[in-house]
Amino acid sequence: MLDLTNANADLWREITGSCGDIRHCFNCSTCVAGCPAAEGNPPLFIRDLVRKVLLGLEESLLEDETPWLCVTCSACEEMCPMGVHPFEVCLAIRRWQTRNDDTYIPAAVAEIFETGHTQPLDNVREKRRAVGLEEVPPTIARYPELLEKFRDMLRDTDLVKNNEYMFKG
Amino acid sequence: MRYGLFLGCNVPAVRPDVERAIRLTMPRLGAELADLEGSVCCPAFGAFPSADETASLAVSAWNFSLAEEKGVELVTQCGSCYSSLRTARKRLLEDAEIREAVDRLLAKAGRVFRGTVVVRHMIDVLYNDIGPERIRGTLDFPLDGMKAVVQYPCHTLFPSEVVGFDTPAGRPHMLRDLVEALGAEVQTYSRELQCCGGAGGFVKGSYAGASEFAFKKLRAMGSETEAELIVVSCITCLEHLDRMQGELGKKGGEGGCPIPVFDYNQVLALCMGFDPAEVASISIMPRDGLIARIRRA
Repeated sequence: MLDLTNANADLWREITGSCGDIRHCFNCSTCVAGCPAAEGNPPLFIRDLVRKVLLGLEESLLEDETPWLCVTCSACEEMCPMGVHPFEVCLAIRRWQTRNDDTYIPAAVAEIFETGHTQPLDNVREKRRAVGLEEVPPTIARYPELLEKFRDMLRDTDLVKNNEYMFKG
Repeated sequence: MRYGLFLGCNVPAVRPDVERAIRLTMPRLGAELADLEGSVCCPAFGAFPSADETASLAVSAWNFSLAEEKGVELVTQCGSCYSSLRTARKRLLEDAEIREAVDRLLAKAGRVFRGTVVVRHMIDVLYNDIGPERIRGTLDFPLDGMKAVVQYPCHTLFPSEVVGFDTPAGRPHMLRDLVEALGAEVQTYSRELQCCGGAGGFVKGSYAGASEFAFKKLRAMGSETEAELIVVSCITCLEHLDRMQGELGKKGGEGGCPIPVFDYNQVLALCMGFDPAEVASISIMPRDGLIARIRRA
């Protein structure tokens, strides 16, 4: 028997405010049938995540790393017969996890804050020149003054304000 | 026709030969490309969209403001960039509260999101604005007699309401038609509409699972078709299918014969006669033999 003594009955409101109404989910598993990451080890079973949210199983959900396996293909989003928006739910669970445990914050957000990108461009200059391109692409990598403005913008977000230690530069 | 080329993070850093191919082929088809100076990560679903929605939408809106300022539609080859930007645009236009918060953040950086931005994928532009017929007329070295398979970028298919341009959504044909316009016969295989498995956190979180997922697709291509090349139109499909063939090869025997993978604009560039050293020089699986055949060298 599931112990629901410590369950948070409002968890679904907290997590899925901007998603479809997940209360319509009847665990049909369409989201699992079409999911590449359901073939992973451990597997991602979105229907199980939705169930945890609906039952208010905070502790179990907080330590569940499977939402991070999602390939973002959004097949579930297309196929869900109940309009639950499973992919949106997956991202919403990740955000809830990062709000409650900063070790979930993806390193990529700090990289984007620092350089504007997720890929380093320093070691690709020669390669770019060899294929006839300018060494630095005309993205923010070429415009340090714009990068400063970009960082200023991000400094005003909750994510950066609440986790300053991650965002240097 | 003038478009703002949204490069994203991976194409310019990992496969600049694809960027070169895009920059050479599109103008020859009458599509002028403007740079979006100062563009940043779309942002990738595994970054800001997984951490802070308002921050995430502000990053997207930063990119939108660059295209809006130039008065151009934004076009990208990367499936993830395309889907992330399309999703963000919809959200910003539909939620006044979050839009207001994003407007405030942008204002701090001296930028404005007007809401007029149009986000397009390369396949959409090639098929719907330029068209297979016009492409056919620009080729010095058509792929006549060659056999190919295609890998549709999942991010251009689902959710069709947000990202879709092909019809019907579950039976896309545009990439196939574009490859056929190059002269190749495009063969069908099971798992054709499955994603490549290379995006998001699957590879990082379950490498064996993600590899096996790609192997199934590659084995289907190998055993069900006579394909000599795989054509994709997404940087992740390109990198992942190329890398996974290398991995499959290491397993010996069951790997079969690896099939070279190209981005569509790369094959197009080769067919147009551009220098392979510029437009198709970076890959794990060797492509020289096939490139020589295309160029009748």
